[in-house]
Amino acid sequence: MTTPAAQTAPQPTESEGAQRRPSTLLSDVSIIIGGQGGDGTLTVVDLLGRYFRKRGLYVYTSRNVLSRIRGGHADASVRACRAPRASIKSKAELLLAFDQESIEIAKPELDADALVLFDSSVFKADFPNVLGFPFATLAGGQVGQPIYKNTAAYGAISVLMGFDEALTRQVIEERFKRRGAEALQKNLKALEIGRKAALENAAAIDRWSIADGEAHDLILMTGNQAAALGFVVGGGRFFAGYPITPATEIMEYLMRYFPSFHGVVRQGEDELASINMVIGAAYAGARAITSTSGPGLSLMTEGIGHAATAELGIVVVDCQRVGPSTGEPTRHEQSDLAHLAHLGHGEYPKFILSPGSVEDCFYLAADALNLAEKWRLPVILLLDQALSQNAATGPALDLDRVTVARPRHLTPEQLAHLETFKYYELTASGLSPFVPPGTPGVTSQVTGNEHDEWGHVSVNPVNRAKMMQKRMGKLVQARDDLPGPRYFGPADARVGLIGFGSTSGPILEALDWLEQEGIPAKYYQARTLFPVPEATLAPFLDSVDTAFVVEHNFTGQFARLIREEMPAYHAKLRSILKYDGFSFRAPELVEPVREAVHGTKR
Amino acid sequence: MVQSVKPTASTWCPGCGDFGVLAAAKKALVELKIPPHEAVLVGGIGCSGGIHNFLEINGLHALHGRLLAQAVAVKLANPKLTVIAAGGDGDGYAIGMGHFMHAFKKNVSILYLVMNNETYGLTKGQASPTSRVGYEGNVEQPFDAILTALSIPSGAYLARTFSGDPKTMTAVLSEAIQFNRDHRGYAFVEDLSPCVTYNDTFKEWREKVVNVEKLPGYDPTDRSAVFRLCLETMRDGKIPIGVMHRPPRVDGADANPLELKLLPDHVGPAEADIGIEANRVAYQKLLQSVA
Ligand SMILES: Cc1ncc(C[n+]2csc(CCOP(=O)(O)OP(=O)(O)O)c2C)c(N)n1
Ligand code: SF4
Ligand SMILES: [Mg+2]
Repeated sequence: MTTPAAQTAPQPTESEGAQRRPSTLLSDVSIIIGGQGGDGTLTVVDLLGRYFRKRGLYVYTSRNVLSRIRGGHADASVRACRAPRASIKSKAELLLAFDQESIEIAKPELDADALVLFDSSVFKADFPNVLGFPFATLAGGQVGQPIYKNTAAYGAISVLMGFDEALTRQVIEERFKRRGAEALQKNLKALEIGRKAALENAAAIDRWSIADGEAHDLILMTGNQAAALGFVVGGGRFFAGYPITPATEIMEYLMRYFPSFHGVVRQGEDELASINMVIGAAYAGARAITSTSGPGLSLMTEGIGHAATAELGIVVVDCQRVGPSTGEPTRHEQSDLAHLAHLGHGEYPKFILSPGSVEDCFYLAADALNLAEKWRLPVILLLDQALSQNAATGPALDLDRVTVARPRHLTPEQLAHLETFKYYELTASGLSPFVPPGTPGVTSQVTGNEHDEWGHVSVNPVNRAKMMQKRMGKLVQARDDLPGPRYFGPADARVGLIGFGSTSGPILEALDWLEQEGIPAKYYQARTLFPVPEATLAPFLDSVDTAFVVEHNFTGQFARLIREEMPAYHAKLRSILKYDGFSFRAPELVEPVREAVHGTKR
Repeated sequence: MVQSVKPTASTWCPGCGDFGVLAAAKKALVELKIPPHEAVLVGGIGCSGGIHNFLEINGLHALHGRLLAQAVAVKLANPKLTVIAAGGDGDGYAIGMGHFMHAFKKNVSILYLVMNNETYGLTKGQASPTSRVGYEGNVEQPFDAILTALSIPSGAYLARTFSGDPKTMTAVLSEAIQFNRDHRGYAFVEDLSPCVTYNDTFKEWREKVVNVEKLPGYDPTDRSAVFRLCLETMRDGKIPIGVMHRPPRVDGADANPLELKLLPDHVGPAEADIGIEANRVAYQKLLQSVA
């Protein structure tokens, strides 16, 4: 591709089309937008996402793909693809830069012949392949406010990428109609300014064209939003939490959703209050949830153990970020798993569920509520920054795939037939009966002290042993209730990948790359991480020569857990690890697998 | 009738001030005719917090310092329950101090009863936040919960009682619980409850307590008047007790306690019908709102 000289002002061209180059057809495109906070980078991403979806493409957007915590830099990216990709493309074709800093930061993420489109009213871009338009000046002069530069830039991109004109405009109409007629008119005007500027420059016109896709009727959501929706339909009605990135949106969505359903959301004074409020609400009989991230999780740990011993079912969402301490609040990691699996002092049961896609966040959120209430223990819904905050297209959420079951709740008739109601009754199933406080005719005692079946504090050694077995037994008895894995790739592949959470996106992309290279590989997407799903992992591991456990941490935490539970497979397990705060790009998974396969004599 | 858990015999040292609280609480619950299943006592960790085991009501034994957070949520999850949080001075004013302050702000209609013995009874007599200078090497200024509570803008019912005067205590607890049951907001009562084993102050406190209600200028609706009376009483080396704030009835949604602000129809999260069928139409609408 040729490199046009830097343009600092729109260059009128004589006859449109005369200097056109043949456009490159893209069926997988990635655009990064960078600038200062307030430049409206997210608006551009939103507009582009809407446009690509109208073209039947899968869309994946992520915020802050580049930024270190510094200054007011903000960036975001959008990927559109004919294939269902839930991962960031390894190299972007286009960077829209509102300042030079964005270019410096984005460089490693850009394709060798990527184009930088920049706002020439603000700066002069320093990059091999650039195209500048004075978006802010044009918007300030013709729309009245420079901020409309973002919509103008969208207009320019629409020309660069050969967008359909009517659809481009429709996107603006849909996005801004609710903001009132004036806002809509200004944005339409800004769109035209951007388009016109680009159309006057032959180097800008139809540089690329975008292939149509077949993915229609999809919805675009983040994992946090999907989880919040799952909590609503799963019967969650109480939430308490303390703001922390990247978990806060769950609280914010529930503040919107819960009030119509007799639900209550409280922002606690800290995580100690939040987890204990959740415990109190669960005790009262509500399905109760909190969400947090690393530092908050540490503070909640005492409460989570208390819930397990008092046998109160609660759901804790951990949206993992870079830790420990304040770490990198906006960055991606999967490093809480080891802590969660061995959580807290003493020994107690808990389940750790891990959704592998945005959609799965919805279904597993509802499942988590059922499991917590039935087994009366803490269920951790383990998310990670990328899954929590990146938006992906997926099928519409299906209410018919959600069930709300309350098998331990006694009806008044069942209760009337009992001779005794013991909150901690020892039963063969490991499950004790439940009625909430306020049920006529019965009272209960619920405690985190060791207790007998009645809930009386007890230090009797025989009782202690029985109660330990009752609680810990749930880890075995509940196995068939826990969400099973998902399998991808050819069943007869001899190379396996194991992953969880947002790594599923890049892993699935890597499977396609590997297939093209003639390396068949298959993927075990774990959805229950603890107890370690031995029953399904063992046959998977038996069927491969090597299994790569892919995770975002330094020590290979999931691989260690698997080794701990299934030492026989020690030699088959290899780790692919990344702990720089960025999520995997497909090549980072393809390379180690390729190396291992070609280096292994079989 | 189905048999459920029965109260156990108390495990307190003979003569412990907490017995007075237990007796007064029992009486108040009977006086108010509250059926056992409708009442929840959330106990702290400490000698005092064990009180939930000795009453014939529902008991929730919280973590050390976390009883208020749990109690607030019990009430918000089911506003029909009568909820009492009860624990020690260490539980409430040391490890639980954050929740202590925020409870006034939250204004949920629950009673918080602190049994203040100016020591850590259960861990065998270390200095607590209310310990006087010199007790077990304490060199820090003692904390005064009533002065603090009076200084926080809130419509809470406030009182201090003394275990040596169970009659007054019963009256105060009855009034406070009724205040909660009428959804008039938060009630905080500190009871001076001597630890006869590690800090036996019965005799001293009996001599020093002064009921502010009997002092000239007392007006339970006037915080500043009561605050001044407390300071004057303390300046004389005495300990003020009595009803410290009896807020007047205020109408209007702003005056509502949190449970009514959040749940105007009194149906809480614990009572909501969470079946899919019962909510299908609203759920479909919600899911369709995501595009
Ligand atoms: C997190 C935590 N830290 C420490 C303890 C140990 N502990 C139990 S009770 C108590 C203090 C009890 O004092 P107080 O709350 O005044 O109750 P009292 O026994 O005097 O009624 C302490 C420190 C604990 N249970 N949990
Ligand atoms: S140690 Fe003190 S507070 Fe605890 S029971 Fe004995 S007298 Fe009461
Ligand atoms: Mg004490």
